[in-house]
Amino acid sequence: MDLVFIQLLNGVQYGLLIFLAASGLTLIFGIMGVINLSHGSFYMLGAYGALTLTAFTGDIFLALLIGVPLAFVFGIVIEWLFIRHLYDRDHLQQVLLTFALILIFNEAQKLLWGSYPHSVPIPSYLQGGVKISALLTYPYYRIAVAAFCVALALLMVFVIQKTRVGRIIRAGESNREMVEALGIDSRLLFRFVFAAGVALAATAGIVAAPLESVYPGIGEPILIISFVVVVIGGIGSVKGAFIGAILIGVADALGKVYFPAFSSSVVYALMAAVLIARPGGLFGRAA
Amino acid sequence: MLARPRPIVIVVLLALLAYAVALPFFGGPFALKLASRIMIVGIFVISLDLLIGVTGMVSFGHALYFGLGAYSLYFISPASAAANGFAAIPFAILLAGVAALVVGSVAVLTKGFYFIMVTLAFGQMGFSLFFDTKIAGGTDGAYINVRPIFSLGSQQLLNFSDRTVFFYFCLAALVLSYLFLLWLVRTPFGRVLQGIHHNDARMSALGFNTYAYKLASYVIAAAIAGFAGVLFASIDGYVAPELLGWRESGLAIMMVVLGGAGTLYGPLLGAILYSVVEETLKSSTELSAFFSIFMNTATAKWLGGIVANSWSMALGFFLIAAVLAAPKGIAGFIEKFAGEAKSAKPREIKPSAQTHEPAKAMQLEVENLTRAFGGLVAVNGVSVKFPPNKVHGIIGPNGAGKTTFINVLSGTLKPTQGNIRLESEEIGGERPHNVARRGLGRSYQRTNVILPFTARENCALAAQAKFPSPFRFSNKWQRDEEDQAVENALRASGIAPERADIKASNLSHGEQRQLEIAMLIASGAKLLLLDEPLAGMGPEETGRVTALLRELSADHTIVLIEHDMDAIFAAADTLTVLVEGKLLAHGTPEEIRSNAAVREAYLGEWGQEAKQ
Repeated sequence: MDLVFIQLLNGVQYGLLIFLAASGLTLIFGIMGVINLSHGSFYMLGAYGALTLTAFTGDIFLALLIGVPLAFVFGIVIEWLFIRHLYDRDHLQQVLLTFALILIFNEAQKLLWGSYPHSVPIPSYLQGGVKISALLTYPYYRIAVAAFCVALALLMVFVIQKTRVGRIIRAGESNREMVEALGIDSRLLFRFVFAAGVALAATAGIVAAPLESVYPGIGEPILIISFVVVVIGGIGSVKGAFIGAILIGVADALGKVYFPAFSSSVVYALMAAVLIARPGGLFGRAA
Repeated sequence: MLARPRPIVIVVLLALLAYAVALPFFGGPFALKLASRIMIVGIFVISLDLLIGVTGMVSFGHALYFGLGAYSLYFISPASAAANGFAAIPFAILLAGVAALVVGSVAVLTKGFYFIMVTLAFGQMGFSLFFDTKIAGGTDGAYINVRPIFSLGSQQLLNFSDRTVFFYFCLAALVLSYLFLLWLVRTPFGRVLQGIHHNDARMSALGFNTYAYKLASYVIAAAIAGFAGVLFASIDGYVAPELLGWRESGLAIMMVVLGGAGTLYGPLLGAILYSVVEETLKSSTELSAFFSIFMNTATAKWLGGIVANSWSMALGFFLIAAVLAAPKGIAGFIEKFAGEAKSAKPREIKPSAQTHEPAKAMQLEVENLTRAFGGLVAVNGVSVKFPPNKVHGIIGPNGAGKTTFINVLSGTLKPTQGNIRLESEEIGGERPHNVARRGLGRSYQRTNVILPFTARENCALAAQAKFPSPFRFSNKWQRDEEDQAVENALRASGIAPERADIKASNLSHGEQRQLEIAMLIASGAKLLLLDEPLAGMGPEETGRVTALLRELSADHTIVLIEHDMDAIFAAADTLTVLVEGKLLAHGTPEEIRSNAAVREAYLGEWGQEAKQ
């Protein structure tokens, strides 16, 4: 029973982490109409950035403080260099270009950090964990990550509900063409949305770095799972991404307990079930 | 519609074929193996082009079937003996086909972005099935110790261990796969797939079960990919989970785009180009030789070493440059170079002897029909009867629920409540293609023809929908009847004969609207639902089309929504007035014109003037 409880906690925490990556992905598609396969690479670069910045500053939270603005700027650069050429092109070309970006980022990662896995230390004040039973403890760092993700999700709710940018994003959720018709400078909006998406993915990568080892290809499972979350939640819907991410996180964690051999298939089966019932996702506009 | 390859394409393909046939005589073992691999990947990517370029479904999980085909060879091979190729190949095709039927039945429910993501997810599911478990060596992959042998009884016909035999087998497989797909897309079945690519809703409204068509195309593509997969496993005798993964799927998409989607031969050229670029980038000596054209030898050598060391990054930049500079791929260049294609000459048609007798059309009856969207009731308890062989107009202010009404009648929307009877048979709630099959055809407010098809091809698609089983691979069956129907439709709708073989995208707006009606006639529909057929027409065109509608009512019942009051009062036998989703009045134009309630709610000034 304790194991199930721990896995449930892990599932929610994992779900919160995927939400950071998936929310960026869903916004980038919902508002800009771009399929961004390189989204997982930003998670990976975040994790490797955490490795270097933690070594430099000595603390993962300082790394976060420096890393997130860097990721935002990096997002602006990538949008300007590559992504902006994709707005008027079809899905096929978007898939192709962002797939090529993965090749480039992976090679860059190999050149800068090499092919071996690394680990990033948990800060000394978050060592140890909460005692759940005589045998099991739940690490403080995981609790801190979950709390951080919740705080960030609340911040996103605030931005989306209360600010001007948020209003535009909400308009884009329900109808992308509307945003263009409202006379908003879409170039600036797109650049902001893309950079914010990159920053979110990188944030997820940074805080996740101490949880597991940092290795080449770390972003790829996150990319795939984020797409599953976006499909379940409905394209463009941040609320859908949140609920989808928690669902997937929990399904994945419980799958590991009950169907260890097919744990990753549980997630896809869940997606298939949602699609049969609602082809446009839980909160999506009709597909 | 996808044409036969142009002469220049045939020349290029034949040159490649001649090169391949001669290769075993001058190429070493490495060249032979590389060429075999390229040809196998070629089969894989042209099967993907059937989905992406022909049916318009961007699958990001096609490697699933390629990988399953490869694994099937491992499953069927005994531990230390050869599998019989006569069993291995059909097994691979079957395994891939069945898997595609299961996955496709869910995936095909979705469109566009969702389809891309869902196929990606299913591909990953297949990948993790092998990666996370101990099946076939799990993460490490598995070896197939002896290559397949084709034998009948004790007679050994082909042995894949012989590189040259294997090479020629792959070449033959590629040529046959290409010719098969080329034939397939030009059959009536393939014509529908192309129609779906350009306009899914329209095809459904014509009476095609687009879901079944898309699923069929998905399964066929997967079966061919499985065939390529089993050959691929025969190259090295090694299979690994990565074969099913999203990178392989992504690479295949890349080759399709690089070569030019929707041309079949393009992706093949894409596969060749991709492999050549990849091999060149991996080799520092070849790169240095290339760079030394621009700089001194020492620098060239240094630069070649650096690029070869990070060849996949260089490949990434090459692909980005290619997609930005040549979005239509290699085929795009070739087509541009060859100029505009000449459309095929129409076939001579034997004029039918039988004289045309007016036929009784269908009656449509609606009872207490309601359609609500959440709290908004767009159509509210409408009961009305449209007798056969008449022109019925539906009028009403904007937002009166006219288009919703038509959408419910044609099956695009399900009624919330009420009955719809076509010739006393209930059709309420049936799917659009079933409604269409029963003889109710519709047109759309926005012109909705298949733009890359000629007018004649558009009508041929519609005529094809008339016969019950549209899964047809023969060009001959029903051909005379259909050509006749197309001819009649073109003539009846007044499309000039010299305009019939021009692509619909090059027709004028009025001609496109006429073509919509022609498609309905060709489809054999007995009741036509027309959503603003006169929209955007000049006075002369309006006159021509209203005359056409009167003529058509000899064999059809016509129900149309129209905003042009002068035209509809002149053309219609009955008028139905909808206001705020409710039926306000129904009657002859005279009755409607003098109806006080209608005048107050809607016609207002216009009614007054018209009366005076």
